[in-house]
Amino acid sequence: MKIAFLSESPADEAVLRILVEGALKEKPTVASAGYRARGWPNVLQVLPAVIRHLHFNTDVDTLVVTGDSDDSPVHTTAHDAPQYYHPHCRMCQLRAVFRQTGKRFPAAHGRLRVRRVVGVAVPALEAWLLCGVEDSVNEAAWTEGQARGILPYTRAELKLRVYRTERPSLPHEIACAVREAERHRRDLRRLEYDFPGFAALLRDLREPIPEIS
Amino acid sequence: MHVFGVIASVAFRNFKALRNTSLRLSPFNLVIGANGSGKTSLIQALQQLRALAKLPLGDPAAVTRVGGSEITFVFDAPHLGVTARLGCVDDVVCDLLRVDPVNAAEWEEVKVELATMRSYVFDHAAMAVPASRDSGQRLAGDGSNLAAVLARWQRETPAAFDRLQAELTRWLPEFTGIVLPEDAGGVVRLGLKIGDAEGPVMADNLSQGVFYVLGILVLSFDPAPPAVVCIEEIDRGIHPRMLREVRDALYRLSYPAAMGETRAPVQVIATTHSPYLLDLFREHPEEIVITQKHGHEAHFERLADRADLAELLRDGSLGDMWFSGILGGVPEES
Ligand SMILES: [Zn+2]
Repeated sequence: MKIAFLSESPADEAVLRILVEGALKEKPTVASAGYRARGWPNVLQVLPAVIRHLHFNTDVDTLVVTGDSDDSPVHTTAHDAPQYYHPHCRMCQLRAVFRQTGKRFPAAHGRLRVRRVVGVAVPALEAWLLCGVEDSVNEAAWTEGQARGILPYTRAELKLRVYRTERPSLPHEIACAVREAERHRRDLRRLEYDFPGFAALLRDLREPIPEIS
Repeated sequence: MHVFGVIASVAFRNFKALRNTSLRLSPFNLVIGANGSGKTSLIQALQQLRALAKLPLGDPAAVTRVGGSEITFVFDAPHLGVTARLGCVDDVVCDLLRVDPVNAAEWEEVKVELATMRSYVFDHAAMAVPASRDSGQRLAGDGSNLAAVLARWQRETPAAFDRLQAELTRWLPEFTGIVLPEDAGGVVRLGLKIGDAEGPVMADNLSQGVFYVLGILVLSFDPAPPAVVCIEEIDRGIHPRMLREVRDALYRLSYPAAMGETRAPVQVIATTHSPYLLDLFREHPEEIVITQKHGHEAHFERLADRADLAELLRDGSLGDMWFSGILGGVPEES
């Protein structure tokens, strides 16, 4: 298995690497370049080009992409129905880009397509990092808050709780993020249970790499 | 905790294109706008204030001049309530300074802080030139005494030198350290080590961006920094992925506590033309100032004052919005 990551920052990529390693129970080979997007919706804009590049120009077989949900609607099991697509749900949007981009590519480098591994952090990656530390932080609490119009926390609050400052330096941000990700690596079940947007990423990771039949 | 800058606000009347506009300043300010829209005029106004503050105050009655330019500064806590008004002969020369209240004891303290104020427009060619050992007291406005400043730090404040060197090698991992050979005449040259096997790369073979990085790091790790620093084009020569580091280096000045520093905050006024840098201020739009130019007249706007800010932030990146023209601060097209 050879994995590439498309993320918003080196801190995000460090977290994803640890979580993916935890799920695989091994260190996968990682593509040397870390691909970056400049937040949403830029990730949607660069994703087709990244998929095309990996498919034709590399032997990468798995692309891990995550986004923050911010204020967008949260993905639900109802969205997983065949042919369903929620135009404002970021999980649905990211999956759609994979679906449409790879559709007509001929097989290359011994695989049919680059495997899609997509997760969405609700409302931001820092919520995953606080999972298990602060019981009130979970996807259901956020979704309920959205429905009631009273959000349980803001993104800025989550960041402050993880980094203890509003303006963390990049090394400090990475150190805090890695510390929390390492805590999850040993046992991903709580994160999987509290954050369906992460559970979806794990499900994708368990799918086989699309082989040439 | 509220962090104060030295200067709370600046108001302009008939100073260059700034006919009638004012601006609240934060501890950190990133100024964006079209070329010639007033970004540099703002910094020039601060320089005029610094220059005049050094001189004895003139006769208060003589200060009001009909039709001339006027720039009014209001200072922040602990000097709240003190104002300084500059009167200018023309666009270039301001020769009058009136302080309110007259004879304010706080003015003496403000003056001390203003005297330390520095403005920078780095010039990579000047920064590459060897410098006299004794010229390194403060980094020059174009960075031209860079080698001497680093050599002085190495001699006198080795802890600061080590921190700068560690940060440099983290930003640019191809380098392993700084060398500052000095010749018999006391002239210091700058070079960067690239591992033990090969000799160092000396200044005339370093790329432009390396000098800009070094200039920013000297400001960021200065053990005795000025109270106010102005820096033009902070993104120049720097890879877009490294702009986060540039932002953080300047935050180290303005918000020292957030970076584990114990010294007083430095007020920073920086300019940029990089939408990628602007993207990094999504969580702190209060730090963004936009200069708007219409014909011959320019004025300032704070991004945080926009009524539709929440919607703007939801719709996409600040850099894309700036480029699109929604935020203003774009060149006029004929
Ligand atoms: Zn969905």
